[in-house]
Amino acid sequence: MAFAIFGTMIVLLLLGFPMMIPLIAGSLIGFVALFGGVGQLDTMVQQILGGIRPASLIAVPMFIFAADIMTRGQSASRLIDLVMAFVGHLKGGLAISTAGACTMFGAVSGSTQATVVAVGGPLRPRMLKAGYNDSFVLALIVNASDIAFLIPPSIGMIIYGVVSGTSISELFIAGIGPGLLILLMFSVYSYFYAVRNNVPVEPKATWPERGVAIRRALWPLGFPAIIIGGIYGGIFSPTEAAAACVLYALFLEMVVFREMDMKQLYATAKSTGLITAVVFILVGAGQAFSYVISFAQIPQAILGGVGIDQMGPYGVLLTISIAFFVGCMFVDPIVVILIFVPIFAPVVKDVGLDPVLVGTIITLQVAIGSATPPFGCDIFTAIAVFKRPYLEVVRGTPPFIFMLLTTAALLIVFPQIALFLRDLAFAK
Amino acid sequence: MKLDDPHAPVPDPDVLAAAEAAELDNDIDDSAYVSGLPGILGVIDAAIARIEAVLLALGVLLMAVNTVANVVGRYVLGESIFFSEELNQALIILITFAGISYAARHGRHIRMSAFFDAMPFRMRKLMMVIIAAVTAAAMLMLAWYALDYVLTQAKRGRLLPALQIPQWWIIVWVPLGFLLTGLQYALTAIKNVIDKDIWLSTSTLEGYDDSAEEEV
Amino acid sequence: DTWRYAFEEAMDEVQGKFAQKFKEEVEANSDHEIQLFPFGTLGESADIMEQAQSGILQFVDQSPGFTGALIPEAQVFFVPYLLPADQDQLVKFFRESKTIHELFPPLYADQGLQLLTMFPEGEVMMTTTSAVQAPADLDEVKFRVMTNPLLVSSYQSFGATPTPLPWGEVYGALQTGIIQGQENPAFFIESTKMYEVTDYITRTGHNNFTTAVMANLDFYEGLSDEDKKVVQDAIAAAFDYIIDYQTGLTEESLKKIMEAKPSMTITTLSEEQRRPFIDTAPAVEEEFLKIGGPKAQEILDQMKADLAAVSGD
Ligand code: NA
Ligand code: NA
Repeated sequence: MAFAIFGTMIVLLLLGFPMMIPLIAGSLIGFVALFGGVGQLDTMVQQILGGIRPASLIAVPMFIFAADIMTRGQSASRLIDLVMAFVGHLKGGLAISTAGACTMFGAVSGSTQATVVAVGGPLRPRMLKAGYNDSFVLALIVNASDIAFLIPPSIGMIIYGVVSGTSISELFIAGIGPGLLILLMFSVYSYFYAVRNNVPVEPKATWPERGVAIRRALWPLGFPAIIIGGIYGGIFSPTEAAAACVLYALFLEMVVFREMDMKQLYATAKSTGLITAVVFILVGAGQAFSYVISFAQIPQAILGGVGIDQMGPYGVLLTISIAFFVGCMFVDPIVVILIFVPIFAPVVKDVGLDPVLVGTIITLQVAIGSATPPFGCDIFTAIAVFKRPYLEVVRGTPPFIFMLLTTAALLIVFPQIALFLRDLAFAK
Repeated sequence: MKLDDPHAPVPDPDVLAAAEAAELDNDIDDSAYVSGLPGILGVIDAAIARIEAVLLALGVLLMAVNTVANVVGRYVLGESIFFSEELNQALIILITFAGISYAARHGRHIRMSAFFDAMPFRMRKLMMVIIAAVTAAAMLMLAWYALDYVLTQAKRGRLLPALQIPQWWIIVWVPLGFLLTGLQYALTAIKNVIDKDIWLSTSTLEGYDDSAEEEV
Repeated sequence: DTWRYAFEEAMDEVQGKFAQKFKEEVEANSDHEIQLFPFGTLGESADIMEQAQSGILQFVDQSPGFTGALIPEAQVFFVPYLLPADQDQLVKFFRESKTIHELFPPLYADQGLQLLTMFPEGEVMMTTTSAVQAPADLDEVKFRVMTNPLLVSSYQSFGATPTPLPWGEVYGALQTGIIQGQENPAFFIESTKMYEVTDYITRTGHNNFTTAVMANLDFYEGLSDEDKKVVQDAIAAAFDYIIDYQTGLTEESLKKIMEAKPSMTITTLSEEQRRPFIDTAPAVEEEFLKIGGPKAQEILDQMKADLAAVSGD
């Protein structure tokens, strides 16, 4: 049955149905098959609502809203001008800065979707103007935002820690190494991309020019202060920081820069609501589909057949990586962690693997999955926010996925990438 | 920008066009919305469209204010707004379900159109009728079961713990949103049958950016 | 048949242990098979409860605190200092209480549920970033509580600033300092690693986390007498097992925490130190009578009578 469902979903997707339809059809077939008819479709509605209800999702519309206000007004361009004054003369400088901004923002906000919007929204037009190809830009934004999952705080690691009984502090520290390794790879790739495609550079800015850029960016520098200072300083939760950014953005654009009037405020709020709805209905439909997979115990059935308890540590790690990668292509990452971790936990223990390493690899796979076709939520977000066709959004993805998978492979072979900092911090 | 620097390589014109498009103001102008329905039905439809738009904008603004108010309450008054989270839940449901019909109206739902676009005109037209009809059927069915769910919840009498109001109050938008979305897709199917062009929604022609289209 | 049983915790936590024992008993004594669904795999607590009500799930474990949204009387388990702190009295209470065995079942039946049993999960403790000896120490402390009016009211009476926060954000919020405290049983503090981001565990003895196992009413009533007996026997066996399992669980969890974090300070408040906390209880009782539904008074009175009976006063 599982394959019939997956098959139907992919066909509907390719035929050009609105993307909620494959997900709804998948869960509908599941519900009817599981309960012998339409008698329990109430629960499908319940699950759709369950998908959009988590309080932490509120950060997504809030960051969309803040980023939209900043981009329409002056805040975003002043911040980018500041970055350009320092890196504009370097090959690939803007792309590397974008990757860096995604890492930093993602690290703090913890949301890959919010990162796509908040960093990608303002930076994409500038990268396009600077001569980068759109499919490269989109893929860079979507995949660099994955790093959000690896660098603390990370909701994926918290869930893994709770379900598997692993120290969350150790997981947090272990995520930093691989996160930075990915950033490094993306930066190197961006550099060679810029060289090969002959992306033009700007003349090096003089120090007086840089001074002007800094002065112009003083007000907008309040945003990183609110986000980084506010969250790490223990004033805001990420969701609250997002809302605070909205109000600060409104203050700057309406009062300080006087770029925005009430009419534009209304239009911006409406457009945020529209994007939110279009993405969230997919998150909800995805949750209903996850429910079917979970209820029918499909992962247990498939994994029961592969004989994982006969494998050595490398086999187990490889199986885990593949299972999470494939699972996240179709189902919400958090649900995948909740379902898979208990299945794998006994085997992980038996072969003597470090649960922190396993957690890091799983978090990485989950992050990759959220940016991977066909049903990655970061892809939905990018399509909705940037209004680009699906294929355009995923076309530049393969090199990035390759680098991410390379990181996963490196982690399996050289666990110290993750464990070095952990061992240092916890003196193991 | 120093793109006009004579020594710099000339960027790809496609890339430049994309950059222009990325900065285009993509806002939907509600006053330009023309309902696909005739007579009084059209007036009602246009009014619903306007209500959806207002709910979307207000919902988002209220969510920002509510979230920040909670922070202010915690630090300034030493008291959290304990119902803040539930209010945000109510708002996100409202936004999502007002938004899906608004998106259907303006052809903004996400779809993967690569293969679709490659088909010949007649095929595309036929496919669009099927897509709109099937989507309408799915939405109307969900509307029905969502209504059933709301009624069941009302009967069970579940309360929201902090607000102490019945939980079904915040989910009444769900059947309504599915219903209006279903109707939009049904109208789109009909429009594609009777009109010579291919329509993504009753007001949006296929293949055009809808912001440009609505100015026609 | 295949019966499905969902609960609010992970497989190795108390509710999961109970469910596993129940499964083992049922499968040993009948041809039925039981599938277990731990925390989150079929949705949140409210979701699995609704699924049990509509008959998708045959069995569900939900703590009365959460059930309070549906059966307001169930919130009585959030009134502080109502349950005995002494383990033997506590067990006796759960075995013999008229409230649990006579007053609650009809209230659950009204919601389409057969109440099978209630059992304690462990003493609720505060974990905080600074020491707590008296209500004054909770002044200005932003304390995470579940969004339940009685918990909010309890912590307000203790002098803290109750701060509702989604569970997924609690760890991070303690780490960065948005909040300075939260409460849970010891096994849960250990398994969710809350001790990593706090420095003090305080045993105030104000509550014991209670949970309830239910069956879908139509399903249960449709069972043959033989199957009903299988279910009842399995519940009884699982109850004995979980009480046994719990003896020492709290101490063991605290020991694990101390091993993982030797700098942790664990304090058990003396009777005298508890007094000012106990004195705040009547205010919360008032609140319970206001929001506890039509049977609130009756439940509270019976509860006190049951407790008097087991403590031998
Ligand atoms: Na993060
Ligand atoms: Na995915």
